[in-house]
This record gives sequence, structure tokens and C-alpha cells, in this order.
Amino acid sequence: MSPVDDPRLPSELNGGDLPALTVSQVSVSFGGVSALTNVSLVVAPGTVTGLIGPNGAGKTTLFNVISGLQEPDRGAVHFFDIDVTMMKPYRRARLGLARTFQLLELFGTLTAGENVQVGLESTLKWWQWSHLRKALWRTNGSESAPGDPTAVDALAASDPLAMTTPDRLLAEVGLEGMAYEQANAMPTGLARTVELARGLAIGPKLLLLDEPGSGLDEAESQALGTLLVRLASTGMAVLLVEHDMELVMRICDRIHVLDFGHVIATGSPEAIRSDPAVQTAYLGTGSAPGGTR
Amino acid sequence: MTSFLQYTIFGIILGAGFAIAATGLVVTYTTAGVFNFAHGAVGMIAAFSYWELVANHHVPAVLALVIILLVGAPIAGALVERVLMRRLHGATAERPIMVTLGLLVILTGVATIVWSPKSQYQLNPIVSGSFRLVSINLQYQQVLTIGIAVALVIGLRFLFSSTRTGVGLRAVVDDPALLAMSGASPDAMSQYGWILGFVMAALAGVLLALTQEQTGISIVAMTLLVVNGYAAAIVGRLKNISVTFIAAIVIGLLEDYIIYYALPHLSQSLNSDITLALPMVFLFIALVMLPSVRLRAVGRLSTVRVPRMPSGKESVLGGAAFLVLAVIASVVLSSVVVRGTNLLNLGGEVMALGIVGLSLVLLTGYSGQVSLCQFSFMGIGAFLMGKVAGGGSLLGLLAAALVCAVLGALVALPTLRLRALYFALATFAFADAVDQGFFQDSRVFGGGINVGRIILPGLSFGGDRSEFLLLSVFFVLVALLVLTIRRSLFGRRLVAMSDSPAAYATVGLNLAATKVAVFAIAAAMAGVAGGLYATVNGTVGSADFGFFSGIIFVLFVTVWSIRTVSGAFLAAVTYVVLTTFWSTGLGLVAGAGIILIGRAASGILGIDRLSTLLPLPWVRRGSAAGGSGTLAGIGTTSIGGEARVAG
Ligand SMILES: Nc1ncnc2c1ncn2[C@@H]1O[C@H](COP(=O)(O)OP(=O)(O)OP(=O)(O)O)[C@@H](O)[C@H]1O
Ligand SMILES: [Mg+2]
Repeated sequence: MSPVDDPRLPSELNGGDLPALTVSQVSVSFGGVSALTNVSLVVAPGTVTGLIGPNGAGKTTLFNVISGLQEPDRGAVHFFDIDVTMMKPYRRARLGLARTFQLLELFGTLTAGENVQVGLESTLKWWQWSHLRKALWRTNGSESAPGDPTAVDALAASDPLAMTTPDRLLAEVGLEGMAYEQANAMPTGLARTVELARGLAIGPKLLLLDEPGSGLDEAESQALGTLLVRLASTGMAVLLVEHDMELVMRICDRIHVLDFGHVIATGSPEAIRSDPAVQTAYLGTGSAPGGTR
Repeated sequence: MTSFLQYTIFGIILGAGFAIAATGLVVTYTTAGVFNFAHGAVGMIAAFSYWELVANHHVPAVLALVIILLVGAPIAGALVERVLMRRLHGATAERPIMVTLGLLVILTGVATIVWSPKSQYQLNPIVSGSFRLVSINLQYQQVLTIGIAVALVIGLRFLFSSTRTGVGLRAVVDDPALLAMSGASPDAMSQYGWILGFVMAALAGVLLALTQEQTGISIVAMTLLVVNGYAAAIVGRLKNISVTFIAAIVIGLLEDYIIYYALPHLSQSLNSDITLALPMVFLFIALVMLPSVRLRAVGRLSTVRVPRMPSGKESVLGGAAFLVLAVIASVVLSSVVVRGTNLLNLGGEVMALGIVGLSLVLLTGYSGQVSLCQFSFMGIGAFLMGKVAGGGSLLGLLAAALVCAVLGALVALPTLRLRALYFALATFAFADAVDQGFFQDSRVFGGGINVGRIILPGLSFGGDRSEFLLLSVFFVLVALLVLTIRRSLFGRRLVAMSDSPAAYATVGLNLAATKVAVFAIAAAMAGVAGGLYATVNGTVGSADFGFFSGIIFVLFVTVWSIRTVSGAFLAAVTYVVLTTFWSTGLGLVAGAGIILIGRAASGILGIDRLSTLLPLPWVRRGSAAGGSGTLAGIGTTSIGGEARVAG
């Protein structure tokens, strides 16, 4: 079973026309320097939406506003029809909003498997006896050694929703057999992928990815593209910040372009590629979207 | 009215001393990114050195000041930066806290050896004479103190805002990248910071010592007097010198008014409790008033290698083997008497302290929260053990666990939203306030309270052997509990929370709830340990749970390994052996140990190359030292014990 047919995923939302994410007129400034100015955008369920822009455009800041790590000066953020503008980050995550970080935020001294498992278990209560009992005999604090079906079953039995295991999720993102690696000892590209798997583990309806492609080689980034498209096809909304323009242009249904904290263009990949404003913004920093990569 | 003015003047003078101490802390923090827990001890050493020179060797006061402030303090500050602190770049955030605490216990340890607490240390004013202003008597000495404080603050403000060096100094912490571009070396800047910090601590120490004319100076009182400055520095958020100055004056006044106006209405014993606990109460209040830390992604990834977790089976087998050894030891050693104590009773103390060590493994080792108040919970546990159901009852243990869990939650609730450093400071304040205000009160432990041995239905633990075995069983059970917690969902959460708070929240987990829970559990463990400890010798006193002892114990656990059961056990062994044979050396050994360990995150037990132990700059650092990692393709810059990974 893969996360894409995880029962928690919002396939029922596929047909609805309510956007998964609505950002309205958001402004953020740091000590008088504005990082975002009246930014508005929507992300529909079942799509991959690109968010691109030169360095320092405000992409990460916008992600922080959406996930609750940065309070906006003005504006609002809606998750489906819920106003989450003032909501604590962990509450947003419980609603189904997952993210990854541009600079890695892994649980470094846990294994890759445990990283994912913390996500999978995030809805469980620690004082429930069943978890403590399992811990009595488990090795290494990690989950489900290969060929240890009892552990998987125990997890599944303790919570009917948690049908997915860390191993399965890791395999899903192409990290088969890496469950026992200590996360901070992994190369950047793989570590990013662990973050992605951890995000998927909470069964998100909206997934924010901050440059998941950096550190990946050509083949890995191909696989990432395929995975994201497949996730979107299950109804998940994906918002992707990425500097690899080839990837963005290939998989995004819609693209928003940020420059100096303003949304300067919104549209299909073709429209964005030929948009003069976008070209100016990128020429200004010396790299054109959809350039030679 | 005259007396009001007189008190006010005296409060301002006290405040001026605090202000100098506090700005020194701020300077070190803004330039080197380290909060120096030893600041008060540096002031204390300076005060005693001044006494040594002037009162004992009749050196002229001005020459003594020159020697202390312009030679001793700067050299000491520079050395501390170069030898102790510079090695810590990129270590885990808890490490600079531990190393400066190590310095604190070393300095107080040295002072205790050099200046015996039994003697009197009286100082005369630098400048004698007084004059009358309106209707009050002002001494020249007092005017001098205020003058120095004001001049210093104005000078520092000028230094930081208008000079190149000052701007460089500020940039070290705010923006290392900018500093690098400006060409100044961060190391040089943080060296400046430590030198300035030490000089100001020393100056504050001497000036404050001179306000203690009537009572003379004492090691603990001098160290804690400077701690008054900590609260002011916190009010100034460790960066704003003007706010810090004003806060220090206000604290000086408040303290003075409370002592002269409020306390005389209270009973004598309460009076001294409050006087002694006051600095820490101010510090605690200042911390609680701080705004919450903003949860943010720091992109910090340490490459700390964690020790392998034993499996459940291995743990149980290990525990069984430990008990077998304990049984053998109880037979073989049953009649060995060391320094008037049966060896088995010392063994019992080890087991009880081992449980306190385990509470630190859970709290600091797994979840990354530094707690300096485990001995407070231990003392409270011991107290309850003695008072509930006539002593020696299991009900007493239960009460110890429950009361300490609730107290732990109450301490954690207002402070867990703070950064790790402030949280550690809050536990520092709590520990000292409990020690000074509660344990030291003659009505609490007095000359020691009788607890008696544990009585179970049908079982007697009156004999030393059965008592030792009972405590060994308790230690093994708590060790298994801690390991089980680590293997459980809760344990994964503790480590996750410590590794990345931002990611923890964004997978839908509530940091606050987890922190309160683990703090309460660790407090309960320490409370039970205290209850058990009390039954070993049948009697306990306040000296068993002293503030400095608690810090020293934390250091020992860190030195051995704060992530493993063996670390907790070996720390307890070290602590008990030293208290028995060389209690004056306790702080020295603990401090030296933490300094030698340096960055090594997993302590002695985690080190595989001994060269990493040596603090010599020219010895290459081994890979086992842990610390900041350079992930492929990512450059790291590090400052103040936190490594930031720059994209
Ligand atoms: N915490 C902060 N304090 C001050 N300024 C900030 C902070 N975070 C971001 N900024 C500034 O806000 C602007 C937007 O930064 P942001 O990281 O959002 O850009 P970005 O689009 O993600 O860039 P990149 O492509 O380099 O990741 C930048 O000018 C940055 O310097
Ligand atoms: Mg960014």
C-alpha cells in the first residue's frame, strides 16, 4: 500500500471547487524591509502549483506564513474554508498541512525510519498503553525491521488509520532499505527526501515543498516529479518552490511568480515562460526561467 | 524621610553594582553569544583577590585595582575564550551552558580552598570620608560607585554605536556573514567580549564587596550578589545596555526597600529566607516576563553521533546482570567501612543518585532541556519521605513523586516557551531559591530530619544489605523505564522535539505539552530518588541537596554521558566517591571534567579517540567530538554554540 491510496488522503475533495489554500493580501516586513507585499494566491486540490522567483523573492517567507512559523502583518490564510491565519503551526498540521524546509529540519539524531514514524504517529496519544508495551521489546527505538510483520500489524491494530509503515513510505519516495540510517548522516538529497516522506506521513491535504529538488541528481529529480504528479492525482494539493525550472515547467499545472515580495505573474507554464515581466525579473538576477537546464 | 532617602541612595549604589555586573553579561553575550554562568563567580574571585591584596598584603588600593582589573581579569577572560570557549563552536546548544557552569564550580571550589569560609573577610572603603547632602550622609565611596557605573554605561553605549570595533562586536552575534565581509575576525571579537565581560564582572565584584562593610564578604553571598545582575540583563533581553542599566537600578532599589521596609514585619527566619532567595526570585520573574521564543526553522543539523540504544531484551539482561553483581557486592563488601560509613550505604547513595542521573538522561539527554534543579526535587522528595506517614513509608515515595511532578509542571509551564538558555536559567533560579529559601530554613531540615528505612509489609530493610539491594532494584527499574520511554513513541517525540522544534510543530505535535510532560516525569523521578536517598542513612539535611551540588552533579552526568544509563550511574559513583574522600575537590573535578570533554556531545563514554579530550588548540579535533556538521554542498557557519547551515 502506498501513501497515495492511504485512506486519510482527501480523495473526496477532488471534485470540490473549494481551493485547498487561499492566501489573501498577505504582507510581511522585517524591521521595515518588506518581504511580502499584498500576496494573494490559491492552490487547488489535485494540482501541483509552482511558486518561483529569484533569490530573496519571499518564497520561504510565504511558506512560513502558510505553515504558521511567521505571523503576517496583514492578510489572511485559509485552509479550505478554515481561517488559519492565527492558528498555531501544530494545529494547522493536524488539519492536514505538511511542509518541508529549504534548510533541512530533520530529526537529526533519529533514524530515517523514526523520522517518518514520528509523522505517522502524530495523531496518537503517548500515554496509551499499547505504545509503551511495544516499546518494551523493540530494538533500537526504530520501527518494523524488515521481515518483522508483527510490528507493522501492531501499529495497524493500534490505530486503524495508521496502515502505512515507515518502510512503505520510505520505499514510496525511493529510500528503500534506508530506515536505519541516522538522519543527520545522510547526504542532502536523501535527507530532503526523508523530510518529504515525513511530511507525507501525516497524511496531508496540502503539501508545501521548499526546493525539494536541490541536492538531487537528474534521475532522482525525474522520480520526484513523477511522485509529485502522482500525489496530486490523488487529490492532494502541492505547492512547490523550486529553482530547477525544467522540473517546474514539466509538472506544474499553474505557476505563481514572486519578485521582491510581489506576485508579478500567475498562469500556466507556457504563459509564464513567455511573460515579459517574469523574464525581466529573472534577467535581473542572471537566470531565466526554463533556461538551459 | 531621611531614612527613606538614605535607603534610596543605598539601593541606587547596590543597583549601580548590579548594573556593572549586568552590562558585563550583556557584552559577553552580544559579542560571543555565550551567557556566562560563571559571571558571578568571577566577581567573587575579584572581590577576594582585592581583599587578599589590600587587607592581607597591604598593597595600596589603587595598585590592587590595577592588578585585578587591568591585568588579572583581562588575562583570565582572554584565556577562558581561547582555551575553553573557542573549541565549542558548533557544539550542541547546551554545551556553552555546561562549560560556564563548570567554570562557576571551579572558581567557587578554588575560592573555598584559598579563602577558608571559616575566616572573616572585612574590607575598608577605597576612598574614605563622607559629606552631607541635604540631610543625608554620603560617603565618597558611594558616589564613586555610582559614578563608575554611569561612566561605564555611557562609554559602552558609545563603543557599541559609534566605533568600528563596537559595530564589529555587535555583528558577531547578529550577522556573522556581515562580519566576515567586513574583514574583522569573529574570534578576535569574541575575545574582546570575554575580556570586557571579565573586567566588568571583576569591577562589579569589588564594588559590591565594598558595600558589604558590616558583614564582610563570603564566597556564596558574593557569587549570588552578582547574580542580581542576571535579572537586569534578562530584562534588557541580553542586548540592550540602557534598559539593563535601568533595570539594575530598579532591582537594587526594590531589594533595598523590601529588606528595610517589608522584612522587619516578618518573622526572623522568614526574613533571612527571603533576603537570600530574592535575587533568584527577581531572575525568575524577569524570565517569566520574557516574550515567547518564535518557532523558526534554523536549518541546524548537528552531526552528534548518538550511542546505540540497547534493545528491550538487552536492557533486561543488562539489568539482571547488574543485580547479580549488586548481590555479590552486598555479600563481599558488607563489612567494609569507609570513613565511618558502611560501604553498602555509600552504594545505596550511588543508586539513589543514579536515579537522579537517569532523570537527566531523560530530560537533557533525550529531550535537550537543561535542568539545574533536579537536586531541588530530590530534596523535596527527601523532605516528604521524612514527613509523610512517620517516615520510611511507601506513601512517602508516592507523595514525593506526585508533589514533584506537580511542582515540575508548575516550573515548566511559565518557562517552557522560552529558549533553551532561558529555560536553563529559570531552573538555575528555581534551584537556588528553593535551596536558600526552603532547604536552608532551620524549620525544614534543621540539623537533619530522621527518615528511617523503608518498611514494606512482611519485609524489613533495616539491614544495610537489604537496603542496598532494594535501592539497586529501584535503580534498575527506573533505568528500564527510561530506556522503555526512549524506545516508545514518547521517546521518539522527545528526541524529535530536541532535534528540530520547528519540524516538530509542523508534523502536528504540540511542543508545550511534550515539554511539560517530560519535565514533570523527570521531576517525579528525582523526587523518588530523594525519598530513597533519605532512607539510606536514615537522616538527611539541607547540605545533601545544595544548589552547587546539584550543578556539580549535572556536570558529572554530562562528562560521563548524558545520553546513557551508564553515564548516569558512573556520575553517581564519581559524585559519591568524591564527596566521601575529597569533598572540597568536587567542583574542581566536575569543572575540569566538563572543560576537558569540550564539545564531545556524548561524554567520555561516547569518545573513541582520546586526543579529542585535550583542550589544546593545536591538537586536531577528532570526528567523535560531535558538533556542527557539514552536509554535502552546504557551508556551515557557527557561532555561540549553534551551527547555522547557510544555503
Ligand atoms: N527572519 C528574517 N529576518 C529578516 N529578514 C528576513 C528574514 N527572513 C527572510 N528575510 C528577508 O526576506 C526576504 C525574503 O526571503 P526569503 O527567504 O523568503 O526568500 P526566498 O524567495 O525563499 O529566497 P531563496 O530563493 O534564496 O530561498 C529576503 O530579503 C530575506 O533577507
Ligand atoms: Mg527560500
